[in-house]
Amino acid sequence: MYDRLFAGILLLLSGLMVWTALQLEVPFQYEPLGPKAFPVMLGSLMSMAAIWLFIKPDSNSWHPTKEIVKKLVAGLVLLVIYAALFERAGFIIATFVVGSVFSWLFGETPKRAGIYAVVMSVVSYFLMASLLQLNVPSGTWWAGLF
Amino acid sequence: MDVLSHLATGFSVALLPLNIFLVLMGCFIGTLIGSLPGIGPINGVAILLPLAYALGLPPESALILLAGVYYGAEYGGRISSILLNVPGDAGAIMTTLDGYPLSRKGEGGRALALSAVSSFAGSIGALILMVFTAPMLSQLAIKFGPSEYVWLMVFAFTCLATMVGSRPIKTLVGVVIGLLLATVGVDSGTGVLRFTMGIPNFFDGVDFLVVVIGMFAISEVFVLLESWALNDLKITPIGKSFVSMADMMHVKWVVLRSTLMGFLIGVLPGTGASIASAVAYGIEKRFAVGDKEHKEHFGEGDIRGLAAPEAANNASAVGAMVPMLTLGIPGSGTTAILLGALMMFNITPGPLLFEQRPDIVWGLIASMFVGNIALLVMNLPMIGIFVRLLSIRQSYLVPVIVMLTFIGIYSIHGDSFDLYFMILLGVIGFLLRKLHFSLAPVILGLVLGEVMEENLRRALSISGGDWSILFNGPITYGLAAATVLAIFVPLMVGSLKKRKALANMADMED
Repeated sequence: MYDRLFAGILLLLSGLMVWTALQLEVPFQYEPLGPKAFPVMLGSLMSMAAIWLFIKPDSNSWHPTKEIVKKLVAGLVLLVIYAALFERAGFIIATFVVGSVFSWLFGETPKRAGIYAVVMSVVSYFLMASLLQLNVPSGTWWAGLF
Repeated sequence: MDVLSHLATGFSVALLPLNIFLVLMGCFIGTLIGSLPGIGPINGVAILLPLAYALGLPPESALILLAGVYYGAEYGGRISSILLNVPGDAGAIMTTLDGYPLSRKGEGGRALALSAVSSFAGSIGALILMVFTAPMLSQLAIKFGPSEYVWLMVFAFTCLATMVGSRPIKTLVGVVIGLLLATVGVDSGTGVLRFTMGIPNFFDGVDFLVVVIGMFAISEVFVLLESWALNDLKITPIGKSFVSMADMMHVKWVVLRSTLMGFLIGVLPGTGASIASAVAYGIEKRFAVGDKEHKEHFGEGDIRGLAAPEAANNASAVGAMVPMLTLGIPGSGTTAILLGALMMFNITPGPLLFEQRPDIVWGLIASMFVGNIALLVMNLPMIGIFVRLLSIRQSYLVPVIVMLTFIGIYSIHGDSFDLYFMILLGVIGFLLRKLHFSLAPVILGLVLGEVMEENLRRALSISGGDWSILFNGPITYGLAAATVLAIFVPLMVGSLKKRKALANMADMED
C-alpha cells in the first residue's frame, strides 16, 4: 500500500523532471548530448522502475501505532523549531529548549533533562565557538541588547 | 622496493603530531560510535564530516580522521553485539550469533579479546593486500577513458542493485534518486540551470553534506524515536576470562580465509561490511561442518563463528577504500561519504591521485597501520572504558546528535535554509528506510552522478554522438561482461532465504 503510494509519487516526480528537462533552453552547446539528455534518461528509467514497483509492491511491514506517530510528529516539530530558533534566539537558548525536550522525550525526568540541556548547550557553545572556532550563532534577537 | 618508499612517504605524513592526534581521536570516536547500538559508522562519519570541514583541516588530515572513525566503528560494533546481543552496527550483526552465547557463559572477556585480535588481524591483512593491489589497480585505471568510466559506474550500480538491499528495483530507485539529485544546479557544460526551482541555494547544486546528514543522521533520530522504549538493556559481565594462545591458533585459518573474503567483498563497489561478515560466517560454518577434529557448535558460542565475521568486516572496511582511492568509485556507503569529503576539498580521487597526491593516499594507508595498532590497545587493555560507555542513555545521546548535526550544517554557509532542507531530507530518508529502501545507494548516486554524466558526455563528444564508442577496446568489453555477471550470478546463487536475511539488514547501513 505504502509502496504503491510511493511509486505513484515517484512516477509523478519523474514525469515532472523529464518535462522540466525538455523545457530547458540551451543557448549554445558544444557537444552532442547537452544538458537535457542525462536527466531525461534518468527520469525515464525512474518512471519505469516506479511502474514496476506499482505493479509489484512489497507487502506492508510498517504499522506505526498512534503513540509512535505522535512521537515522530513531536520530533519533527522540535527539529523545525530548532531550525527556526537556531539563528534568531542563538545557539545556547535554542539548544537548551530543544535539547531538554528531546531528553525528556527519551524518558528523562523534566528536571534532569533541563539541567542536562543547560550544561550541554553552555559547554558546547564555548567548546565550538572558542576552541574549534566554528560559526555558532549567538542570536539575532539579542544583537541589539548587548 | 617501490612500495617501501611509498610507505615511507606515507609514514612521514601519518606520524606528524596533528595526524597522530587525529587518528587516535578518530579511532576512539569510531569505537564509541560503533559500540553504541543504532549509530553506525556511516552516521559517525556523516556527523563529523562538516565539523572536520569547518575546522579547516588539510585534506589528508580530514581523511585520516574520518577513515579512523570508519574502521574504528568496525571494531566497536562487536562490543554491544557480544555484551548486549544488540549489534552496534550493520557489520556486527553476525557477531551476535556466537559472541552473545559466549558472554552468557561468562566468557565475555575471552570473546571480546578474541574478536579484537581477529579484527586486528583482518585489518592488517587487508591493509597489506591494499598496499600491493592499490598501485596495480591505479596503473590499470590510468588506461581508463570516458567510456570505461561510464561502464565502471554501470557495473558499480549493478553490483549494488543485485547484492544490497531488499529488492534490486528498490536499490535502483535509490541510485536514480541520488543521480537525479546530482543534476540539480548549474550545468558545467553549458551554464544552464537545472531543477533549481528558482531557489538560489540550489544554483551550485544540492549540498552533499546536507543530503548526507539529513538522510542518515536526522532519519536516525526518527528511527530512535520510533524504536525507543523504556528498556533496561542488561550488560552481561565481562568476567575474568581472556583469550589464550590455543584459541588464536584454533582460528588462524578461519581468520585468514575471512580476511581474504572480506577484502574482496569490500573491493566490490557498493558491498560493505554487512555482506562481508555474513558471507564469511556462512563459509566458515560450512568448513566447520567438515572438520572432524572440532565439532562445530555455531550459534552456541563457537569461537570460529566469532572470529570469522569480525575479521571479515574489518577487512572489508579496508578493502572498500581501494576502489575509492584508485578509481573514484566507493566500495561501500561510508566510503561514498569519504569520497564526497575528498571532492569537497577539490580532490578528485582516481588513478592520478597516486601520482599527484601521494601524501594523501599513502598518508591515509600509513595512518591506518597506526590506527589499527591504537585500536588493538584500546580494545584489549582499555576495553573497560567502552563497556562503561555502553550504558550512556539515549536521553543524553540524542540531544548531542541533534546539536552536532545543526552546528555542522549551519557552519557550512551560515544559512538557516540548509537546516530546513536537512530536516526535509531527514523525513524523506526515514520514509525510505521504513519502506525498505537502503540509503547507501542514494549517496553513491549523488557522489557519482556528476562524474558519470561528465564522462558520458565526454565519450559522446569524442565520437560525435555515436553511442558505439561505449564498446571499444578490451576494458569496455570486460566491464560489460562483468556487469552481465553481476546481474546473473547473484540471481543463481542467492536463494530466496538469503535475500530475506539480507533484507533485514537493509535497515542498517554500512
